[in-house]
Amino acid sequence: MAALFIGALVVALALVHKPLGDHMYRVYTGVRHSRAERVVYRLVGVRPEAEQRWPVYARSLLAFSAVSILFLYAFQRLQDKLFLSLGLAPVPDHIAWNTAVSFVTNTNWQAYAGESTMGHLVQMAGLAVQNFVSAAVGMAVAVALVRGFARDGADTIGNFWVDLVRGTLRVLLPIAFAGAIVLVVGGVVQNFTGPHAITTLTGGTQHMTGGPVASQEVIKELGTNGGGFYNTNSAHPFENATSWTNWFEILLILLIPFSLPRTFGKMVGQVRQGYAIAAVMGVIALASVTLTTVFELHGAATVPQAVGAAMEGKEVRFGVANSATFAAATTLTSTGAVDSFHDSSTPFGGMMTLFDMMLGEVAPGGVGSGLYGMLVLALITVFVAGLMVGRTPEYLGKKVGAREIKLASLYFLVTPVLVLAGTAVAMANQAGLAAMLNTGPHGLSEILYAFTSASNNNGSAFAGATVNTPWYDVALGLSMAFGRFLPIVLVLALAGSLARQTPVPESAGTLPTHRPQFVGMVVGVTIILVALTFLPALALGPIAEGLS
Amino acid sequence: MDHMPSWIRRHLAAVRALVVLTLVTGALYPLAVTGVAQLLFDRQANGSLIERDGRTVGSAIVGQSFTDAAGKPVATYFQSRPSAAGDGYDMLSTAASNLGPEDVVDTPGRASLLTQVCARSRAIGEREGVSGARPYCTPDGVGAVLKVFPVAGRPVRAVSVNQPCPATPFVAEYRGVKVECARPGEDYAAGRTVPVRGGVTQAAVQVPADAVTAGGSGLDPHISLAYARLQAPRVARERGVGVDRIRALIREHTTGRALGFMGEPAVNVLELNLALDRS
Amino acid sequence: MSTHVLEGAPERVGGGLLDPRQLLTSLPEALRKLNPATLWRNPVMLIVEIGALATTVLAATTETSFFGWAIAGWLWLTVVFANLAEAVAEGRGKAQAATLRAAKRDTTARRLRERTSAEWDVVGAAELRQGDFVVVEAGETVPGDGDVVEGIASVDESAITGESAPVIRESGGDRSAVTGGTKVLSDRIVVVITQRPGESFVDRMIALVEGANRQKTPNEIALNILLAALTIVFLVATATMQPLAIYSMAVNPGVPDSLALTSDGVTGIVLVSLVVCLIPTTIGALLSAIGIAGMDRLVQRNVLAMSGRAVEAAGDVSTLLLDKTGTITLGNRQAGEFVPIRGVTEEELAKAAQLSSLADETPEGRSIVVHAKEVYGLREREPGELTHATWVPFTAQTRMSGVDLDGREIRKGAATAVMTWVRDHGGHPADEVGRLVDGISASGGTPLVVAEKGRVLGVIHLKDVVKKGMRERFDEMRRMGIRTVMITGDNPLTARAIAEEAGVDDFLAEATPEDKLALIKKEQEGGRLVAMTGDGTNDAPALAQADVGVAMNTGTSAAKEAGNMVDLDSNPTKLIEIVEIGKQLLITRGALTTFSIANDVAKYFAIIPAMFAAVYPGLDALNVMGLASPQSAILAAVIFNALVIIALIPLALRGVRYRPSGASKLLSRNLYVYGLGGIVAPFAGIKLIDLLIQFLPGMS
Repeated sequence: MAALFIGALVVALALVHKPLGDHMYRVYTGVRHSRAERVVYRLVGVRPEAEQRWPVYARSLLAFSAVSILFLYAFQRLQDKLFLSLGLAPVPDHIAWNTAVSFVTNTNWQAYAGESTMGHLVQMAGLAVQNFVSAAVGMAVAVALVRGFARDGADTIGNFWVDLVRGTLRVLLPIAFAGAIVLVVGGVVQNFTGPHAITTLTGGTQHMTGGPVASQEVIKELGTNGGGFYNTNSAHPFENATSWTNWFEILLILLIPFSLPRTFGKMVGQVRQGYAIAAVMGVIALASVTLTTVFELHGAATVPQAVGAAMEGKEVRFGVANSATFAAATTLTSTGAVDSFHDSSTPFGGMMTLFDMMLGEVAPGGVGSGLYGMLVLALITVFVAGLMVGRTPEYLGKKVGAREIKLASLYFLVTPVLVLAGTAVAMANQAGLAAMLNTGPHGLSEILYAFTSASNNNGSAFAGATVNTPWYDVALGLSMAFGRFLPIVLVLALAGSLARQTPVPESAGTLPTHRPQFVGMVVGVTIILVALTFLPALALGPIAEGLS
Repeated sequence: MDHMPSWIRRHLAAVRALVVLTLVTGALYPLAVTGVAQLLFDRQANGSLIERDGRTVGSAIVGQSFTDAAGKPVATYFQSRPSAAGDGYDMLSTAASNLGPEDVVDTPGRASLLTQVCARSRAIGEREGVSGARPYCTPDGVGAVLKVFPVAGRPVRAVSVNQPCPATPFVAEYRGVKVECARPGEDYAAGRTVPVRGGVTQAAVQVPADAVTAGGSGLDPHISLAYARLQAPRVARERGVGVDRIRALIREHTTGRALGFMGEPAVNVLELNLALDRS
Repeated sequence: MSTHVLEGAPERVGGGLLDPRQLLTSLPEALRKLNPATLWRNPVMLIVEIGALATTVLAATTETSFFGWAIAGWLWLTVVFANLAEAVAEGRGKAQAATLRAAKRDTTARRLRERTSAEWDVVGAAELRQGDFVVVEAGETVPGDGDVVEGIASVDESAITGESAPVIRESGGDRSAVTGGTKVLSDRIVVVITQRPGESFVDRMIALVEGANRQKTPNEIALNILLAALTIVFLVATATMQPLAIYSMAVNPGVPDSLALTSDGVTGIVLVSLVVCLIPTTIGALLSAIGIAGMDRLVQRNVLAMSGRAVEAAGDVSTLLLDKTGTITLGNRQAGEFVPIRGVTEEELAKAAQLSSLADETPEGRSIVVHAKEVYGLREREPGELTHATWVPFTAQTRMSGVDLDGREIRKGAATAVMTWVRDHGGHPADEVGRLVDGISASGGTPLVVAEKGRVLGVIHLKDVVKKGMRERFDEMRRMGIRTVMITGDNPLTARAIAEEAGVDDFLAEATPEDKLALIKKEQEGGRLVAMTGDGTNDAPALAQADVGVAMNTGTSAAKEAGNMVDLDSNPTKLIEIVEIGKQLLITRGALTTFSIANDVAKYFAIIPAMFAAVYPGLDALNVMGLASPQSAILAAVIFNALVIIALIPLALRGVRYRPSGASKLLSRNLYVYGLGGIVAPFAGIKLIDLLIQFLPGMS
């Protein structure tokens, strides 16, 4: 059954790969602007025909993100003054800051419980908006990098505003609309009612909640955002009502990230290069999903053994296997939505979710961020492998020289340093240690997970940790901001550097980057580098727990 | 416009872009979805609410507690899974327990996950008249865990750490050392944690897994088929109807796997209990 | 091995094997390199040195144990081994430099007051400036680099090229360059000095082979950045482990302190050991040796690269411009066929052709005599035998040569010239002659018409002779992804024929220096790197434009200045070897980087359980090698890490085996050997070392 569930996802993704990839190719390379878009550009006050050099592109992106953070912060702080607040108080300043950064960085780390903190208006017009635009920003950066590969001696890498608007209006919005209706059919709610008490069968009281959930749920998965309308996220029946909505939500999570390689292939004029990248993602993803499922079904740990299954934190309608698939999918991408609670997973099952994120979320990764992360890894692989065939390494005809390697190396450095330094600092001070719910190695895993999730912009958690404290809100907020924007700036710089180059024509001496050999190498390099970086930390957390 | 520094222009553009995109994705879009949803699928869009006698009694997809005012299970109803949402099935504070797979040692003020599992198993066993025994559980319903001293080498002392004195330890002896009960207040952190599996095999366990664990949302509307079957005789007895009738109702309210391979078969407890009341 | 410079013909070594004695002789230099001021250029090894120092201090103060001292000792050895690799690589160059220095004795020069004046002053060679004129006579040493402006002389250049046969240097033309330090054997020449003081060719050679002011090449810089990034990652991974280790001990208060782990965290010595084992020390230690050895391999082939950048570019070359003459074909055309016209026998024609060529000392003339002898059995007669013969030499005006003998007048030469001569003597050459001539031209040959007064006898077909093995060479190039383009002054028809015979990919016919330059620019615009050889002054712009420009040592100083390599053997075919060396250099770097990183996997399996099994006994499951004790495991990993450097020095110097083949095949092979091998080898190595050292004191 688990194999069929996964197999059906693979088939669906394979079917969608080409049409969606081609659609995004047309979206990002088309020269025509629709009338609605022209109106938007006029309102925004930008000239859509103007191409931007990478620093301008980066500054536009950063300006948009900075404005978004300020806006979202203010929105939360002022929610009691606005309508549809359900009578909820202003969000405390540190949580508002953390949440603003979290949603703008596509992380959707939640230091709050949705049903008791955010009114409908903030959810709908604040958080959900960022679900759209932060995803569109990720795709824009990926497309800009791909343009770097595709262009020949060019100064510019596109126009940020155009990429942002097109990604939102032409890619995300139509899929989200259709997907939202599908979810509603499945039972996901979509209304504007506030909590209202009902009397249960046995005379107790239950406060039925409502909200525009479906419209937010769909973009939360599609944009690999992950922030739940409710505290228990996609485990909540109102967010994920049935076993098939569960499958559908996993599909939404993987949809764009697995289709973008096609867009990449089309843009660089070699579809097979896109297949190679998709293959790398697919191999790692399948391995991870399989391992996670096996570990969870095997249930090797004291409590799962006592229970007879790793059912703690899992819903009956999903079962262990499908919850494991969801857990792998949400951490392989930068989603962070959960339909089961990873903190209660088996040690090695939990370790897989950690490891997925540590991979840098590249298989297939977040919308856009997965592709650019993977391309940076491919670049590093090309460099080492390229030397081994006796040429200055080149990828898609672009030479991987000192500047490219410098940017790629810095990219590769940012997240591990943030994760490890953050974890170390937290583990070395009382404010950090106090957050643990569990003790021993599992407590360590909770903290490691928090910083891994924040720095990689995932947003899922070993949710036992109490992170709604000022210390964590600030520390994780910084991790999220640096973990998002430093890599983005580096990638855009890389795009600029690549775009300037004249491609080297391919020859028999060129390292072929579309064959299984190369796919295997990227997989190997990715896994070995990440394993080497994080093994000491993992050894003292999940591995120690799992081998006890 | 052109006389403004470029960074100001850029930020103004950012503000306008955010406003425009907020109008589109934060207002038009959710309103459109709501319109369609309310028009075509209003039952689901409003929470799949169930009414009885003109009064809403719950949602078809949200679980609830079937306990009395004192929190005791109402014996005439099928019972839901344990819930970590507030005091149980509280939609205003949905939550999972988030306790780890090796959370086996009780601390003052918090029972370990293992002990919670063992205690639930024992209680359900008693309620349903079957054995509540499980691996790693003591007969008195706590986690069967020893603290052994020293951490390495030949043991000189062993304490059944979840069984406060004067309880009788679940085993008398561990590798030649007499097992003590746990003296409240004493710190056993320095010992090695040894969960003891005991003689209960997985096949002999009578209380199913979902019955002793809390779900992810704290609102799990379902229980497993096994848990429903376990409860059938008691419900039949309490209601004075034949157990076959009850089993038939269970079958009626079992949702199979979607398309035959998605998820797990599950019994909707609220719908089942409503059907019980109707029949 | 570096003494060959003085010993005549250069030996063709495969790439420099390592003589164990070199390790010993280089040891003092290796120790000198421990100076941090020297070592800072190599950050990876600097970190190891800091680690060695730290462990020494710790072993002497707070963490005193045999284990501590052993680790400290091996860390120092790690640095020494790395320095040794570099010192050995440099040592070879140093020996070479010494012999060059010997050639660079303090000479005096006779500086003319003016170019035309007969008066001169004796000045030290060091005082010569660019543009000075000096006179050099037989027996004197040329005081500096320059061009001959007057006279002709035979010069002994063995001090620089290793070639003992003297060469001719004369004013004008492409053989005008003389090099300081060479010796004039005969005659007298006037030389204009072209070098700046202290920057003579020999000076630069010395600097190059010594590796002094060696600039890092672009690829090396990129690789260094990657290695630095990896180093930082592993430093961070190790440093941030400490709070985690402290926490782990704190939540397990019953666990006693061990040599590796105490309640204050992982002990300093073990922490340093872990860092050193993880950071890419292997490639860090060997990187500069690989670069130096790459240059050295070129030197051994008598090629001087002016920069490492050029060597690296050679590996990237995708278009090779090869001069036809001397590179693809033997320098001169040879008689390949005698084609008589109707009514004349081949024999008759051969005899006439031979007769006409007996006094012709040009290679073409000699080949006619030889061909006649070999194919038609015609005895070669000495010109002196035929006393009554009158030899008619070739002149630029007549464009033919021949003989008048016993009333016969035989001429051979360019078709038009000979035909005119026949007509002048009343003959009427048949149309057939024109057809024959055109046919030979079309096939790439050079037709020489042979005529006897009044009638044409036939045509000699002079053919370009493609050197043996060139086709295979070019096939190899194609597999490596390199396009070969033949450059020739011939007409397109001729050029095509030879191109096809030799198997080059393309040709540039009737090439002028401007055409050549344009071709290079065109290729470069397409993103290709271009290599070429050249010797003439008119080659200079193209040599300068090419990414790899190999100047022949026999060429002009302008050409040598313009190129970025000089082939002392003046063998244009060597360009192919240069490309291979460039590739080998890059492959060696890539392979050892892969090996270095792959090694880390095994080291983790040794060190992680050694550190943490005390607090989490389950982690002993990771001790897949079954190492005896935590101490022996850590020490074994450190020892392996050090020894692998020594073990790989020969490979670094020799370079990874390179056989021209497609990129995919090459990568597969290297991945298996250095990737998979890099993962597997240390498991075996560490286990083996552990088996040996477990009996040392303090290892259990």
